Amino acid sequence: MNAPPRAAPEPLVNSGRAFRWLAARECLRVSRLWTQTMLAPVVSSALFIVVFGLSLGSRIREVSGFPYEEFIVGGLIAMAMAQAAYSNNSSSIFQARSDRYINDVLAAPMHPWQMHLGYVAGGAFRAMVIGLVLAAVAIPLTGVPVQSPAVLVLSGVLLCLLFGALGVVVGIYAETFDHHTFINNIVILPLTFVGGVFYSVELLASPWEQLSHANPIFYMVNAVRYGFLGSSDVEIAICLGVTAAFALGALAWSQWLFSTGRRLKP
Amino acid sequence: MTSALSVRALTKRYDDGTLALDGLDLEVPTGEFFGLLGPNGAGKTTLINAICNLIRISSGSISVFGLEGSSLEARRMIGLAEQDPNLDRFLTVREALVYHGGYFGMTRARAAARAEEMIEVFDLGAKADTRAPKLSGGQRRRLLLARALLHEPRLVILDEPTAAVDIELRRELWRYIRTLHSEGTTIVLTTHYLEEAEALCEDIALISEGRIVARSTPEGLKERYDAATLEDVYLKAVSTS
Repeated sequence: MNAPPRAAPEPLVNSGRAFRWLAARECLRVSRLWTQTMLAPVVSSALFIVVFGLSLGSRIREVSGFPYEEFIVGGLIAMAMAQAAYSNNSSSIFQARSDRYINDVLAAPMHPWQMHLGYVAGGAFRAMVIGLVLAAVAIPLTGVPVQSPAVLVLSGVLLCLLFGALGVVVGIYAETFDHHTFINNIVILPLTFVGGVFYSVELLASPWEQLSHANPIFYMVNAVRYGFLGSSDVEIAICLGVTAAFALGALAWSQWLFSTGRRLKP
Repeated sequence: MTSALSVRALTKRYDDGTLALDGLDLEVPTGEFFGLLGPNGAGKTTLINAICNLIRISSGSISVFGLEGSSLEARRMIGLAEQDPNLDRFLTVREALVYHGGYFGMTRARAAARAEEMIEVFDLGAKADTRAPKLSGGQRRRLLLARALLHEPRLVILDEPTAAVDIELRRELWRYIRTLHSEGTTIVLTTHYLEEAEALCEDIALISEGRIVARSTPEGLKERYDAATLEDVYLKAVSTS
């Protein structure tokens, strides 16, 4: 300890820069833990495509007029992205709260919305990378087309916002790490499986077909599927509208937690 | 001259009903080395957390160099070294400093240059690329202090900065903190080591049950309580409050 520090002459607040640093930190965490955050979900989803699509696909002729291996690609990518966005943010915020290094962010000169979106960015980054890698694997492997790139991108963005914000909410409310996995295993994963990832809900008997329409993940899966196939179980506008409405609701909830400090600050 | 810190009628009641701060008033002049002493649970850390925007206050107001305490400008002027090392487990020493600078609005180049200065000053060069969980207790303590000072705050708050460090490092930290103060930085220090408060602080306040019960220079407190040592003052003040 041999050199004195310098005192700052005037405070200069640049909260936009602070937000970018927080977003960069969240992305750094994702890339530093890449075997857990990227490799594992990509491998498991790619195996789903190979096992369900290519193996079972030869025994199932078509679903909704499409070869089975092409039909399931959109839903599997949506499922992997949703879980990645959720898991990333819930675990990152939970760890930051648990070790209390979130205080370095909460004390910093940033607006609550900048802190909020900085954390959402990590999950969005992870989900987007996984989605792109899976698409790069699935397109040549199954021959699935991309009929509507704009819808695909929009549905991917809405999905990242919805599950990224949900991850933030759970990360803030979680008392133990089990809470984070509980929501994933008991809520998100079952809803994804019954949301038409592996089948068209048109194949279901009443009332299961109608009940499927009460599942928000059904609309998200169909929006992504429309991006690939140009076809979905319900109107694409409804799929995007419902997904957007849930994304806005989740974002409003997580923003409220940052704005009020509830659960983040005693 | 504007006070570095002005706290008015500050009350904090936690959700479980615990009253941690009870209408506390406090004024810390610019450039002062101010010590805050009190028993466990007296409200020291709650007060610090309130100043640093880390808790939701129930009522009252805080201003930092005349600015509303929760404003971005006020937060930019505060540096905090918390009692327990709260370091980002995913970042190395160098990254922890650079990212902290970024959170406080510094450019990448400025934050990186400042991080190198702090690494040298706090003798962390050998561990610059080591992540926080692999640092020793003393190294973590140095990193906490380096991080608090990285963005060149005008008000530095040190919550028991020498807790659980060896005598050699404690003396080294004292020397560094004194240098910092001599350059015009306002310092608020909480400590359980009364000799530390006596050696460093110009002005000491005793806090008990969420209120300031006595405040003066170390000598002034001894005179007021007719005590030979600051320890006697502490015991008398806390027992009579």
